[in-house]
Parts: sequence; C-alpha cells; structure tokens
Amino acid sequence: MNTDELIERLAQTAEPVSRLRPPPTRTALWFALGIPYVALVVVVMSPRSDLFTKLSDPAYLIEQSAALATGITAGLAAFASIVPGFDRRILLLPILPFAIWFGSLGLGCLQSWIQFGPDGLSLYPDWFCFPAILLVGMVPAIAMALMLRRGVPLTPHVSTALGGLAAAGLGNFGLRLFHPQDASAMVLVWQMGTVFVLTALAGWAGHLLLDWHVLLERARRRVGYR
Amino acid sequence: MDPHSELNQRLADLMRSAQDGSGPAYAQLLREITPLVRRIVQSRRRFLQAADIEDLVQDILLSLHAVRKTYDPARPFLPWLIVVIRNRLAGSARRYSRRQAHELQVDDLAVTFSEQQDNSASEVYRDPEALREAIAHLPAAQRQALEMLKLREMSLKEAAAQSGTSVGALKVSVHRAMASLRKALKG
Repeated sequence: MNTDELIERLAQTAEPVSRLRPPPTRTALWFALGIPYVALVVVVMSPRSDLFTKLSDPAYLIEQSAALATGITAGLAAFASIVPGFDRRILLLPILPFAIWFGSLGLGCLQSWIQFGPDGLSLYPDWFCFPAILLVGMVPAIAMALMLRRGVPLTPHVSTALGGLAAAGLGNFGLRLFHPQDASAMVLVWQMGTVFVLTALAGWAGHLLLDWHVLLERARRRVGYR
Repeated sequence: MDPHSELNQRLADLMRSAQDGSGPAYAQLLREITPLVRRIVQSRRRFLQAADIEDLVQDILLSLHAVRKTYDPARPFLPWLIVVIRNRLAGSARRYSRRQAHELQVDDLAVTFSEQQDNSASEVYRDPEALREAIAHLPAAQRQALEMLKLREMSLKEAAAQSGTSVGALKVSVHRAMASLRKALKG
C-alpha cells in the first residue's frame, strides 16, 4: 500500500474519538476515584485509636501532607507524560513534596538519635506495611494503569513509575491513618521502602502496560493495513 | 498572525474536525502533514533507501492515527506532532540497533566455520529460484514464521502478535524451517 492509499484508508475508516481530558482534570478524576476507596479501607481496618491526637502533631501532619502531595503530583506528572507536547519539566513536579516527605522522616530519625542514641533507630520486622500499602493503593493503582493506557507510550517506564509512586503515596497516606507505627526509622525503612519497591516494580512493568506495538496493531487491523 | 501560527491553527482546526469524525478534514490534515513528516524522516535517516523512508512515514501516520484522541485542540498542533514523530523515530532506531546486533551474531558464527563450508553454504543460498521453491514447499506455519522473522525482519514480539502464536512456537517454527531449507538446498 502506498502512502496516498494509506491516507485515503485512514480518512475513510476514521471514527469520532473521545478526546483525552487535560492532565490536571484526569488527576482530579483519579484522585476523586481513589480517595473514597482509601477512606473505605481505613474505616474497614479501623482508624488508629490516637488519630485525633496525631492530627495536632505537626510532624505527622507535614509527613501526611507531603505523602498526599507526592501522590497527587506524581499522578499529574504521569498523566502529563503520556500527552505529546506537554512540557517535560512537569515530570520533576513530585520531587519537592517527595523531598519534604523523605526529609521529615530523616529529621525524625535524627531527633530520635539525639534523644535516645542508637536505640532510637532500632529496627524490627514490620511486614504488615507491604501488603497494607498494596491493599490501600490497589484501586488507585488499577485506575492509574487503565487511565495511562489511554495515552501515548512516549516514556513507558517513566510514566508507570510515576503512576506507581502516585498510587503508593496514596497507599502510604492511608496506611498511616490506621497503622500506629510512628518511629521515623521504621517508617523510613518499611513504609518508604515499600513505596520505593512498588515504584520500581511499576517502572519495570512500563513496557507491559504501555506499548506502541499494541496501539499500532489495533490501528492496522481497523484500517486493514498489512 | 505569523505564517507558523496560522499553519498551527489550521492544522489544529483540521484535527479537531477529524477527532469529531470528519473524513475529508482528516484526509486534508494527513495530506498536509505528510511532506513535513517525510522531510523530518529524511533528515534524520539519511542512510535509508526511499522505500524504507516511506515505510517509516507510513508507520508514523498510523501512529498519529492511533493516538489522535490525545491531541487537545486548545494546545498548538505542531509540538504534539513533532513529539510523536521523534518518539517513533527513536523507537525505529532501537529496532534497527537490535537487528544490527542480531546480524553481528550471525557474522561471528561464520568465523567459527571453515572457509570452505562457509563458501559452499553461501553458494547454495545464492540460487534464489531454488530458495523460493524450497520456501514454497515448507508447511504454512513455518513459511509464515520465516517470512515474518527473516524476510520482513519483524521482532519475535511483533511477529507473535501478528500471527497470534507464541514467541516459543515461532522460534520452533523458524528453527525447523531453517533446518528444512538447509536440507533441501544441500540435497
């Protein structure tokens, strides 16, 4: 088939398409879908008994706000990364809230060390974090994957890593509402560690979720192009 | 309005109509952007033959078609177009490097055989009529696998998706096809 024939074929078989909404709108939709689920899990798992006290603890509030902001900005960056022509600098957006989140935990570790010495940084296994973050972040992660697949696989691994960070950030935010683990070193290693692992896994799966080949095969079949 | 903005606006309007299902607007848009796509491909792939350039142009047009829903008419059209073209060209470069890497492996293999065997094998393969006949006598699945992987140089993943078989089955088919061809062409 020559190029002119292909153009004719594309024009003849083209159907109306529903436009992808702008990344900020899609982020808001994703968040509106994810937050009720996170709230549901928190209610089912029963919120931590000291939640009201924690809501007046500045360190806890900063950490939770930064985790939530990381989730939202990573989601926005993920949605922008699948739209051609969007300013690539938006991909750096989650760095600031993530740095605050990471920094607040680091500061907590430092304070514990000053106050209690090496004992303040003691670690013990807390395997609950991984499945709990996975559970809370599951629906946001599935919604994110489905929404990302409607875009262009420009940078598949980056897009899914950002999507994974968004879901894991939301998952960790939810976890901290029902899991009474406040030792900064523990949170840093087990919770932040889980966020890292989930982000890395999501990034690795980029080529499985976002693939030009799948899009092109579908287009070829519809147009009858071989 | 400067000519660049005017072009951007006209193409954006055409794409908006195309997204709404207007075939004539879509055909006009594709006809207008094809020379630009071709120019970019030619400037970035100077070493390619005209037919290969045209294959890439068609691949890019299909890619634009596949992702046209991601264009937002409120934003300029040309940056959207250029990003898709660059991304597809980068993808084609990766596919090209992978093929080159596979070809190098074959070159390495040839060195391990004695010169006589190597020459005799290439003598046999230089008989295109015999080769064509041998391919025609292959079972359909083996012929299809050989055509996709060796003649059309598709990747295993692409060939598996197109034929609806697994990568493993394709590897087996191509291995058997090569063995049958070797036997037929020597005999």
